[in-house]
Amino acid sequence: MTSAALPSTGTSVSRRPSSLRPGRIALYVVLIVGALLMIVPFLWMLLTSFKSDLEVQQFNWLPGELRWHNFVEAMQSAPFLRYFRNSLFIAVGETAFTLVVCTMAGYALAKAPIRGGKSLLNYFIVLLLVPFQIILVPLFMIVKSIPLFGGNNIIGHGGIGWLNSWWGLIIPLGAAPLFTFLARQFYVSLPDELAQAARVDGLSEFGIFLRIMTPLIKPALITIAVFQIEAAWNGFLWPLMITTSDEMRPLQLGLAIFSQNPAEIQWPYLMAGTALATLPMIVLFVFAQKRFVEGMANVGIKG
Amino acid sequence: MSTTLERPALDTPRKVPTSKDTGTLLKGQKRAGWALLTPALLHSAVFIVIPVVAVLVLSLTNYSFGDTWSWVGFGNYADLARDVDFLASLWHTVLYAIVVIPISMAIALAVAVGLNQKIRGLGFFRTAFYIPTVTATVAIATIWLWIYNPGSGLANGFLGLFGFAPNRWLADPATALPSLMVVGIWQGLGTKIIIYLAALQGVSRDLLESADLDGASRWQRFVNVTWPSLGPVQFFVLITSIVGTFQVFDLVYVMTRGGPGSDTRVLVLDIYQNAFQDLKLGYASAETVIMMIVIAAFIGVGRLLQRADTND
Repeated sequence: MTSAALPSTGTSVSRRPSSLRPGRIALYVVLIVGALLMIVPFLWMLLTSFKSDLEVQQFNWLPGELRWHNFVEAMQSAPFLRYFRNSLFIAVGETAFTLVVCTMAGYALAKAPIRGGKSLLNYFIVLLLVPFQIILVPLFMIVKSIPLFGGNNIIGHGGIGWLNSWWGLIIPLGAAPLFTFLARQFYVSLPDELAQAARVDGLSEFGIFLRIMTPLIKPALITIAVFQIEAAWNGFLWPLMITTSDEMRPLQLGLAIFSQNPAEIQWPYLMAGTALATLPMIVLFVFAQKRFVEGMANVGIKG
Repeated sequence: MSTTLERPALDTPRKVPTSKDTGTLLKGQKRAGWALLTPALLHSAVFIVIPVVAVLVLSLTNYSFGDTWSWVGFGNYADLARDVDFLASLWHTVLYAIVVIPISMAIALAVAVGLNQKIRGLGFFRTAFYIPTVTATVAIATIWLWIYNPGSGLANGFLGLFGFAPNRWLADPATALPSLMVVGIWQGLGTKIIIYLAALQGVSRDLLESADLDGASRWQRFVNVTWPSLGPVQFFVLITSIVGTFQVFDLVYVMTRGGPGSDTRVLVLDIYQNAFQDLKLGYASAETVIMMIVIAAFIGVGRLLQRADTND
């Protein structure tokens, strides 16, 4: 809780209610203008999505009428529905993979009495700093030479490996070290006595992990899931690199292709498509706002 | 949760030893620990560690997907020094970082300080500032492409209300890169604001109050109490911003493709085109190594700045 004294003391002696002081009003004005600057582009997107082709020839704010059929026609002019489904599939697959791998590793790092546990933790922390763009080129080559997939032989030659496949879209970018670290931070705060008691009850180590400890870090699981869904849904460069067929393209890629021919862009349709692409994440954020905020703060301050 | 400590260990011999001998118990825990760690270790080795090493090795070759390749030593690096596209990309990326990072950090800190003043509607403001961050960059880029549209976009339309002449924004070499920077700053505020806000709430209330009693002005309290205690968080925000700005790609790819000419060409776009359109993987790897070095240099400078700041 912020101290009430803090804002009211700066400007000397005025004893009016704090909400009426000029400083306060200026603060609200600045914040509201700032918030508008953040929101107006989205509003502009929505307004445009209802306009007719004629109406976008000239600058104006409001559409003459709400043309809902723009959305229907946008969906028909490109395989948006399929892109949508693909993005959803990638997001769900990647999140499931991440949750399984990262909770297991996070738990082991936090609780297992293994030698070199500290250096293993440092290993994941260092990896967390490696940006994806650095490993772009070799990652492509590795994914291309996954053995026994996509026509490859046992040493990974001859075919395309995981290129243009769901495996390639989901696995390499899942299970980021960041999430292992995040999971570990939460497991570490659980008391060892819980595991000890379950051990005495004869529960297996894996059972302790799965049935005793993991249910207790549900907030962490939700945080990880929310961040991973967002990352997967918004991903662009990796799908751009490894997909060649329209069958597997996610939404962002479809959107980018849709906007690539400036002379022929039909802005109302494009904005309708963009609105449909952004809506799920905005809804997710509004519902999971607390998790987003806590997750960011946790990574930023503890990390 | 009833712990039944006195109950004798059930004789269900799974892979856990039923023996009370702590030695075997510990061994079981160790084995389980390694089993749980293995997938993550394997995954990170294959998809992160090997690629990092590979990029260094590849940068010394002329590999290009074919079966024949050879070592070229530092030949790629020598070529890069003469490659005008690469040099332009490097320059634009550095410029982008130098402009975007300080401005977005300053705005984010100011907004966070404002939001920290016990105001009404915190949830609304937080949502407003954070929404651009949760939205896909491709979608953001598409929206801004339309905003910057010279004919009937919002930018010219809005500025026209105040009598400004229409601008060609992304199509004009003079304004193309600054236009991208605006979007970069705009989109990156949310994350920074939330981190700053969390950090501000950790600033010692006692210190602030005693400074207040000593008659320190609001500005003096900010400079002498708040600012120093933000140190570690500043550094975190700085590092993530450096890494983030050097990765700029989606924005440029959708909005300008590096144009007009190569006036908005950036490093990752150049790497992408060299690697996946010209198939020069060795060359693109050398470029990546240079990018790593520049990022490291930026972080080093950031560290020096921070140290100078805290030594004051």
